[in-house]
Amino acid sequence: MMDSMIVHSAAGALVEITDVRKSYFSNRVETPVLHGINVTMQRGDFVAVMGQSGSGKSTLMNILGCLDTPTSGAYRLAGVDVGAQSRAELATLRNRTIGFVFQSFNLLKRMSVLDNVALPLIYAGVSRSASRSRAQTQLDKVGLGELASRQPNQLSGGQQQRVAIARALVVDPPLILADEPTGNLDTRTSNDIMALLNELNRERGQSIILVTHEPDIAAHAKRLVRLKDGLVLYDGPAAEGLRQLRTDDNTASASEVSQ
Amino acid sequence: MKLIHVLSEALRAMLANPLRTMLTMLGIIIGIASVVLMLAVGDGIKLFIDKQLSVLGSNLVIVQADSRKAVGARLRTGTVQTITLDDAEAINRLPSVKGAAPMLTTYSQISYGNDNTNTQVQGTTPISFAIRNLRLAKGIGLSEVDIASASRVAVLGKKVAEQLFYKNDPIGQTIRIDNQSFQVIGVLDNEGQSFDSGDIGEVVMVPISTARVTLIRTATPRTVQYVVVQSKTTEGLNDMVADIYDLMRDRHRIRAEEPDDFRVVNFGEFAKTGEAIATGLSIALGFVGAVSLVVGGIGIMNIMLVSVTERTREIGIRMAIGARPSDVLWQFLIEAVAICLVSGIIGVALSAGVASAVSSTGKFEMAIGAKAVGIAVVFSCIVGIFFGFYPARRASKLQPVECLRYE
Repeated sequence: MMDSMIVHSAAGALVEITDVRKSYFSNRVETPVLHGINVTMQRGDFVAVMGQSGSGKSTLMNILGCLDTPTSGAYRLAGVDVGAQSRAELATLRNRTIGFVFQSFNLLKRMSVLDNVALPLIYAGVSRSASRSRAQTQLDKVGLGELASRQPNQLSGGQQQRVAIARALVVDPPLILADEPTGNLDTRTSNDIMALLNELNRERGQSIILVTHEPDIAAHAKRLVRLKDGLVLYDGPAAEGLRQLRTDDNTASASEVSQ
Repeated sequence: MKLIHVLSEALRAMLANPLRTMLTMLGIIIGIASVVLMLAVGDGIKLFIDKQLSVLGSNLVIVQADSRKAVGARLRTGTVQTITLDDAEAINRLPSVKGAAPMLTTYSQISYGNDNTNTQVQGTTPISFAIRNLRLAKGIGLSEVDIASASRVAVLGKKVAEQLFYKNDPIGQTIRIDNQSFQVIGVLDNEGQSFDSGDIGEVVMVPISTARVTLIRTATPRTVQYVVVQSKTTEGLNDMVADIYDLMRDRHRIRAEEPDDFRVVNFGEFAKTGEAIATGLSIALGFVGAVSLVVGGIGIMNIMLVSVTERTREIGIRMAIGARPSDVLWQFLIEAVAICLVSGIIGVALSAGVASAVSSTGKFEMAIGAKAVGIAVVFSCIVGIFFGFYPARRASKLQPVECLRYE
């Protein structure tokens, strides 16, 4: 357990989470979800975050994505103190720093594939024509250049997720945050999407945080962070982490059998 | 985010649900059309009155016979012809009067060659040309000599001349009025409606003496139907009317307790009545417009709130990829304003259609001015901003995490 709390070298760290706690309040009743998380991530890393439902995985994901703020603790993203930002500043920070890839793709209906990909650039203040040409380039890179004028609902799930990845990459953000990116896809398409993410990480040095509950998907990452009950259970190389995971599972099922 | 982008987003949102957008716009369309029509009616009536006065001449009253109220059976105004040429001359001599023109009118068949028309013939004197602002397009007007000698001469209204002579010169030609020959000596330049004779362009003027001899049988040789009187000054108009009452009661030997056997019709009063009607109509239309705009605005607010709820997830996605709260605010605000603006434009078009339909009847001139269009645009924007702000603000205050969880 102590191993996971070792703070990695802070200099130039992309993600630096220090003793982050998060509680939800309903009717003044405090429900703590994260109990003090410490994670540091260097540029170029590929981290998978695993944990069962209720482990605080989604909450951590929202905090990492600057969609939510911690109750206490510090979060520095690309050198910026996230906790000190206003809502507008957070939006700009998300826009410049994070590319989101969601489980349900989250493309905007009634908007062409090209316009979907161009949208982050529009919010970044880039002109319409420049946004479109950059979006087209990005679509070409994920192999969907010819579908630019289609509507998202005319595309298959795998294609939609590729569009979402193109949208995440279009502003060239230091971090890609992929939340169960293969959750709605079949195995073959999932492998394609993971191959694309792997390629981005290997060839462009793209930093990626991948949230998943599937060990097979997590196996694509270099590093694994396992959460349990709002604490970091494991933080280390993915291969070793997944081996431990299997052992834990076997132990759990063995104990179930013995009962 | 650039304005053009926000506008295209607004357009996209409007077209996503065209029926709903159209129904939402209806209230604003009716409201703006009412407001624009209100202005057009007001302007139109003012224009109408101004035109009347310029056709008729200003500061005019008409003195006409009125049935004696003391007599048992009341007769229609003008049927008891108690006004005479002598009355007209006496009125003309009043110091407050600039001119008084006796009138005898009838409808007659006018013909020239194979063409004929039925129109009003006015028997009058040269004074009437001066006080009624009559200008001549061609030829000359009636003269005192024509009156004295009951010459068979006629001055044609513009439209009568066009009907009978097309592009030919009518001057010197002989026309027939009720089968009697008259020589055309002049053509009037005036056009438009006048209170006493309908369209001034459709009138034929002849010497009053000739009219009496050839066209109009009167009770006595000196009876006239009415006298048109102009005061010297606008301020002196009411004093002049009082002078005329005193003079006429004296001349007609009406005792103090007896009612008048004549009446004085003041066109200034007509104009005032017209303006009052215009104001009333404007207030009514303005009220309808205001109510419509408020109801339409509430409809817009309602639909925008529904839209914000429906698009919660979209808002979450936009915020996640970098939309600031102000971007979201602008997006929804501009959408509301765009709906109102388009409604305003349709409303202006609708009112322009109504105005041109009314104008085409020829009875009333209605024009949609730049002022009306400007006011429509400003009003629609105000409605859009006022009723769109709350939903837009609500959208901008949404939390991205909650929006992304929203199904």
